[in-house]
Amino acid sequence: MASLPKRIIKETERLVLDPVPGINAVPHEDNLRYFQVTIEGPQQSPYEDGVFELELFLPDDYPMEAPKVRFLTKIYHPNIDRLGRICLDVLKANWSPALQIRTVLLSVQALLASPNPNDPLANDVAEDWLKHEDEAIAKAREWTKQYASRK
Amino acid sequence: MSTYEEEHGTTGSNASDRRDLRSQLHSLYQENGTSNALLQMLSQLIPESMQEELLEDTKDGCPDNYIDSLPRIKKKDLKEQESCSICCCNYKDDEYPLVVELPHCSHRFDLECVAVWLSKSTTCPLCRDDVLSHKPKIDVSQVEMEDEWGMYG
Repeated sequence: MASLPKRIIKETERLVLDPVPGINAVPHEDNLRYFQVTIEGPQQSPYEDGVFELELFLPDDYPMEAPKVRFLTKIYHPNIDRLGRICLDVLKANWSPALQIRTVLLSVQALLASPNPNDPLANDVAEDWLKHEDEAIAKAREWTKQYASRK
Repeated sequence: MSTYEEEHGTTGSNASDRRDLRSQLHSLYQENGTSNALLQMLSQLIPESMQEELLEDTKDGCPDNYIDSLPRIKKKDLKEQESCSICCCNYKDDEYPLVVELPHCSHRFDLECVAVWLSKSTTCPLCRDDVLSHKPKIDVSQVEMEDEWGMYG
């Protein structure tokens, strides 16, 4: 395997030794650029009590290029589509090489706490969210219970 | 044997015409910013190979001469535990650290690290300050000329 940049080793060590509350990221033993991630749904959000699985991949150009992050657990959220792709500025145009795996995952966690239906990725969900917010939130809770229950 | 120019249909005079047209389009493009209508119009008018060149010119990064001009920091002015936020390594782990400072926000990075970033972006990795906004625009027509010379050389 190609050698791993020192930065990735340092980041991984810190993720394990000094984890972010509610976020867990473990590198795959065969590929240290591939992380299995879980994020706990933030309290007082429709995702509360849910544990969401994600995958995170560090491309060859990392940190010049953003990590690729995707939800594996089904989630009802206006900025996450049914393939789990996430609409988040720091993963695209606002990526900076001073950001890290931990800051990206914190941003994803923050996105769960504050869905933004005005900048949608899942158009149907965003429409629901804008038109019938109460119903959309209820549905997000229901999906959390159904798909993201702690095993 | 045919020359590169003949094979690619770019004889000398053609190339200079092309350059004139390109600089005209370029200034038009800059005046209008990223107008979609203009881009569409252009895409109908010019061959694909030229569109690419045009878009290259307006690509997001900083010119090489800007990156080369960044002020360097002397080793004795670096703090003991100071590290580059791009590679996360202490500057002083390197016997001969080559550290630069961005002119406006004064954030420091390894030259090697920040050069790669600034070749595709114009923002400071730490504060997103637009590094080019504090300097007069560098004349890109000169840069282009050199590129072409390089091709024929």
